[in-house]
Amino acid sequence: MRIGVIKAYFKKELLDIYRSKLILMVYIMPSMLLILFGYGIKTEVTHTRTLIIDNDQSKASYDLVSTFEHSKYFNSEVKNLSENRALDLIKQDKKDLIIIIPEEFEKHLLKGLKTSVGVYIDGSFPSRAKTTENYVNGIIYDTIMKRSVSKAESKALITINARNLFNQSLRDEDMIVPGVISLVLLIAPAVLSALLIVKEKENGTIFNFYSSSVKKSEFLAAKLLPVLLLHGINIFILFLWAIYLFELPFRGSFLLYTFSSLIYIIISLSVGLLVSIITSSQIVAYVLTLIITIIPGFLYSGMLMPISSMEEESVIVAHIYPVMYYTHILYDVFLVGDGLSASKNVLYLIILVGYAAILLTVGSLLLKKRIA
Amino acid sequence: MKAFLAIIRKELLEFLRSYGLLIVVLYSFTLDVYIAGNGINLDARNVSVGVIDYSPGFISNKILSDLHYPQFQEPVFFTSQEKLNLAIRNKEIMVGIVFESDFEKRYHTGNNPVLNLLLDSTASTQSYLALNYIRHILMRFQDTSSLAPAEIQIHKLFNPNTSYSHFMALSEFLSIITLLAVILTAAVFVKEKENGTWDIMLLMPTDAKAVILAKSLSQVIIVMVGTFVCVGTVLFGIFDLPINGSLAAFMLLTFFYAFTSAGIGLFIASVSRNIMQVAQLSVLIMMPLIFLSGAWTPVYAMHPILECLSIISPLRYYIQGSESVFFRGTALIDLWEYFAGVIVLGGVMFWYGFRKIGKLF
Repeated sequence: MRIGVIKAYFKKELLDIYRSKLILMVYIMPSMLLILFGYGIKTEVTHTRTLIIDNDQSKASYDLVSTFEHSKYFNSEVKNLSENRALDLIKQDKKDLIIIIPEEFEKHLLKGLKTSVGVYIDGSFPSRAKTTENYVNGIIYDTIMKRSVSKAESKALITINARNLFNQSLRDEDMIVPGVISLVLLIAPAVLSALLIVKEKENGTIFNFYSSSVKKSEFLAAKLLPVLLLHGINIFILFLWAIYLFELPFRGSFLLYTFSSLIYIIISLSVGLLVSIITSSQIVAYVLTLIITIIPGFLYSGMLMPISSMEEESVIVAHIYPVMYYTHILYDVFLVGDGLSASKNVLYLIILVGYAAILLTVGSLLLKKRIA
Repeated sequence: MKAFLAIIRKELLEFLRSYGLLIVVLYSFTLDVYIAGNGINLDARNVSVGVIDYSPGFISNKILSDLHYPQFQEPVFFTSQEKLNLAIRNKEIMVGIVFESDFEKRYHTGNNPVLNLLLDSTASTQSYLALNYIRHILMRFQDTSSLAPAEIQIHKLFNPNTSYSHFMALSEFLSIITLLAVILTAAVFVKEKENGTWDIMLLMPTDAKAVILAKSLSQVIIVMVGTFVCVGTVLFGIFDLPINGSLAAFMLLTFFYAFTSAGIGLFIASVSRNIMQVAQLSVLIMMPLIFLSGAWTPVYAMHPILECLSIISPLRYYIQGSESVFFRGTALIDLWEYFAGVIVLGGVMFWYGFRKIGKLF
């Protein structure tokens, strides 16, 4: 490796990135993705469009209706419609939830007879339907219990004392943002490094490399170092967004965060390098990189579903992708704060380094300095 | 007209001969949709449970025996608080249950028995759901329904078992259509620009309008074929997606939507000089459109300003329309809003892109 050659090539690449306005993609895309996803993915369900049909019109049913009306989770409206008319409203996507309070609701409650409240939920969006179901269950149940259970009886019931570790108030941001950081740092460097190399292939300028005395290692260094350097700055930008915009706690070590992120960027740009080897047109390289990074990035980041609750085969697949190891460390530095004192973090960091080394080696071995 | 057909044929041939692109497009319409539908599940299933039991164990074991598949894994017993904490921190255990030594006594004497739960809420959705499952188990265990006789009959319409695969597969498919229709169209034009043949195309005696229309139509055709493949094999074949509305309406809506996306692609193509810029612009334009579409947060729950802005996202109408056709089985007449939205926005975008790319200098 000759430093002079690398320096010159490196300078050319940086200038190229700057002049072709690729710099916009390097700095706007990651931040934009973080902000959009951070605000966009909400597991908390608010403003559910609710229709309450009160067939009882008693004190008990008014109680129930007013609890719904005062909840921020529901935008409720009381109307007297037939059940079928109401169901049509769900079909037309005008309402999400219909609650039907039966006749003689209060009377039955007082006498201790069986009575049932009908609830219809639009199940098209499964996670929202599930959350709505839990809210509705909770509200109706609490209201009824308050009315009909005596003090002594309620004292005998088991109460749950739940402590939410690491994310006390169950904030969506705390859960989503570290996952999105890992997603972004997987996609963006991969796309950039793939495009930088395939661009030369498609335009034919790669022959400069084939025919000149530039060594393979020098070419790679000059192509990949700018990506590492430019996206290295993104590590800090994303960090600032997470802390100041999304107000995440940061409980771990900043050094660990920076180091593991740098390793992760190396993994990502090696993925881009591998893509650039098998493709020869930019558009294919671009779409391919997007597809092979976005879905695993989502699936195995632990952002939407924890690895521990996956099925057997998915657990194995999750361990094959490097995403899981990095997000484990990310969630640790942001929310848990054990750092390197936890042996699992050390192990995962070592695995990440191993991945980076293997992918980079494989990529550089497969890159040929001649026409295939 | 002859030139028109010739160009369509040429573009389709070119697509079929670029194997890389063909494979990538096929992959996205089949395997990618399959992986998303099969893999993503936000439900709390298979939750790992760790238990510390200081109580004599009669009641606690009865409660624990109710934690079972598919929601919970077999509980793992720990001997000390520290070991449990460590397991939770290492993400091996998601829910920790601690029975205090006086738990059973309090339960029998009716003196506020307390069940302590430790939840790893880095995954807040699942820990919230797990908490709810446990609450239900306790309610059944103590037979609270005899205290308050009201039952709550919940009907989840269109998806009674809360299956995620249908929803996720459909969503992924809709995003794939958007992604490909925009990028493919933009790329077809920009490739010519990059090679310098676009100006020649415009100078040729054939009508420039016909050239542009033929080129965009060819990409729409590719996307539509992909749609047929995906809907036929993955959505209906593998996931057995029920369709409660009319398939024809969905296909028609998809056709209009593909044109709308092609319009966005035209716009991107007209302002970018090379594929690199297409790559940047397409992300910069599509991500906000997806964000505003209500794919993640329903439109009515957004900030009022965003709610207004979402009117300009064609994806909003397309997603709502498709979900209505597949899940809600909305009557054809009630779909007019979605059709109108897609067609009007598509018309504007296509017209604008059309004019911009048709200018020579």
